[in-house]
Amino acid sequence: MTAVLELRGLGKDYGARTAVKAVDLVVEQGEILGLLGPNGAGKTTTISMASGVVTPTRGTVAIGGVSLANEPNVAKAKLGLVPQEIALYEDLSAMQNMRYFAALYGLRGAAAAEHIAWALAVVGLEERAADVVKTYSGGMQRRLNIAAGLVHKPALLVLDEPTVGVDPQSRNYIFETVLALRKSGMTVIYTSHYMEEVEALCDRVAIMDGGAIVALGTLAELIAQHAGRGIALELTGDVDAAAKAAAAHGTVTRDGAVLRVVPAAALAPVIAAIEATGATIARIESREATLEAAFLALTGRALRDGAA
Amino acid sequence: MIGASVQKEVATLLRDRGRLLSLFAMPVAFIVVFGMMFKLGPDKPEKRPIAIWHAPADARGQQIQQALADSALFEPVLLGSADAVGRAVDDETYVAGLVVPPDFQPTAKPVVLYIDLTKEPAIRGPINGALIGLVMRALVPSGIAQPVFVATQMPPGAHPAPDEISSFQITVPGNAVLFAFFISMAVAITFAHERHTGTWRRMLAAPVSRWRMLIGKLVPYFLISLVQVAFLFGLGAGVFGMKVAGSVTALVVLTASVSLCSVSFGLFVASFGGTERQIGSTVPIAILVMGLLGGCMFPRMFMPGIMKTIGLGVPHSWALDGYYAVLIKSGTTVATIAPELAALLAFAAGFALLGLWRFRFER
Repeated sequence: MTAVLELRGLGKDYGARTAVKAVDLVVEQGEILGLLGPNGAGKTTTISMASGVVTPTRGTVAIGGVSLANEPNVAKAKLGLVPQEIALYEDLSAMQNMRYFAALYGLRGAAAAEHIAWALAVVGLEERAADVVKTYSGGMQRRLNIAAGLVHKPALLVLDEPTVGVDPQSRNYIFETVLALRKSGMTVIYTSHYMEEVEALCDRVAIMDGGAIVALGTLAELIAQHAGRGIALELTGDVDAAAKAAAAHGTVTRDGAVLRVVPAAALAPVIAAIEATGATIARIESREATLEAAFLALTGRALRDGAA
Repeated sequence: MIGASVQKEVATLLRDRGRLLSLFAMPVAFIVVFGMMFKLGPDKPEKRPIAIWHAPADARGQQIQQALADSALFEPVLLGSADAVGRAVDDETYVAGLVVPPDFQPTAKPVVLYIDLTKEPAIRGPINGALIGLVMRALVPSGIAQPVFVATQMPPGAHPAPDEISSFQITVPGNAVLFAFFISMAVAITFAHERHTGTWRRMLAAPVSRWRMLIGKLVPYFLISLVQVAFLFGLGAGVFGMKVAGSVTALVVLTASVSLCSVSFGLFVASFGGTERQIGSTVPIAILVMGLLGGCMFPRMFMPGIMKTIGLGVPHSWALDGYYAVLIKSGTTVATIAPELAALLAFAAGFALLGLWRFRFER
């Protein structure tokens, strides 16, 4: 396998605050890597450093084997960034937008026309190329947002929350687009709020927390290493005290009167600790081993409670 | 990339009616309104009415009345009696009045000039003097030469003024400079908009050096500013009859300097990194105050000395001094307005250096 992106000891400080500590990550050609993490984990900063948008405080970035620091323009030409925002000129037509973004990559004339036609076809917008962007639906704008990042046919496409605010039909279209791009040999980094998207699309997943990658592997590897089988316990009585007692024997998250527990070893000490606080267990439910459980075990937080 | 940036910014501007109005239509409205307000030259000369009475068929009275009518300054209005003239001046219907006695005799029975002697000498004096001069010339029998005590001449080497100084020669450059600086707000807003929408991140991720990015953002607005000022001067010349007494090359060089200064100021404003709303609510105040101090709305020639001196602290006053020289004084060249050009370029360099020092690509 060939590394398309290599991050070595990559970090960023903003004054006294460390946003990203020292990330080491290799993304191989043709894979879709999911990047998950709660709010403030450092995902966007890492992506921004990898894309040349933010200058790292330490560490190195190589895109397609080319150092971003030494040959920024050569390295950047190999990467396409699709920001989380609808990063388009809404008063211009899709074609005018695409021409401008193509020009940023040195594409003009027939070459630009060919690349633009390809990118618009990939996202299914070739029929609406002449329309002004602000007349597009939210889903169409998201698709054009992706096309603008694709226009120079990069080796690596970085998608930052590409499905925020889109309808299910457009989301499915974006899924299919990403899978088709991977099939054509393109490498994709995909961040998302939606655990099920990462589970459905990604070959490997990197989980970030506190400015560092805390886990990296295939879905199966992450679940096997970090999720285990958990239980949901519905309690009555002093739930706070019960949660604290259970936390000594596993990873605990609380949702009202329900504790979700991934035991560190066996289940029996968890139940004994809860009952010792005087709380009563009203209901016990077993849970499947999922990526969400792995995420909870690694970060202690539910993704949708605070991811970005 | 810069060509594509120009195309993109121009296309965006053409679809933004609000900005088009503020950059092109609003200055035209200001020019028209201010042009009507400032009647500085003989654009539409209005003679001052002067009350007069003389006895019917009094030849000397008729000569004086005719002399007033022939002058460029006064319009005689014949009243029914000498008393009527006095009352009309007293109740300020007329600023002055002349009564030619039927038994006129130099010294013993002179023509009476009614005028409020308590008025400021600066206001009363010119009317007083002009009327006395006209009356005296009217009463000198034809063919008799008057002794010349004072000879009036142009100073040696002076450039003659054009035949007419139009109020539009004041208001067109005034508003052109004022609204040229509104480009700076457009520059600052476009940076804020790019950051807000994420297109700035896209540009940072593209294989384009940051200097080229910056130039690509500024050049289109420099060109738009040139078009804006050219449009306003073209309108001034074509529709309002504004004349250019000096060199057209000087006008072009001066306009380029003003546009450069405005765009540099825009970079300086953008370097503060405010939102579109913050820029839209604060920068117009700064631009209007600078325009006021620089004489864009009220010519500096009418300002007290201290305000004239303060005005030199903004580029607008230097720009307007240059424009007035080029428009009004024949023979004005690039060399003539070199001090104004140097000041404008110094302002442009200052704004650009401060802007570059403060500007953050990654914010």
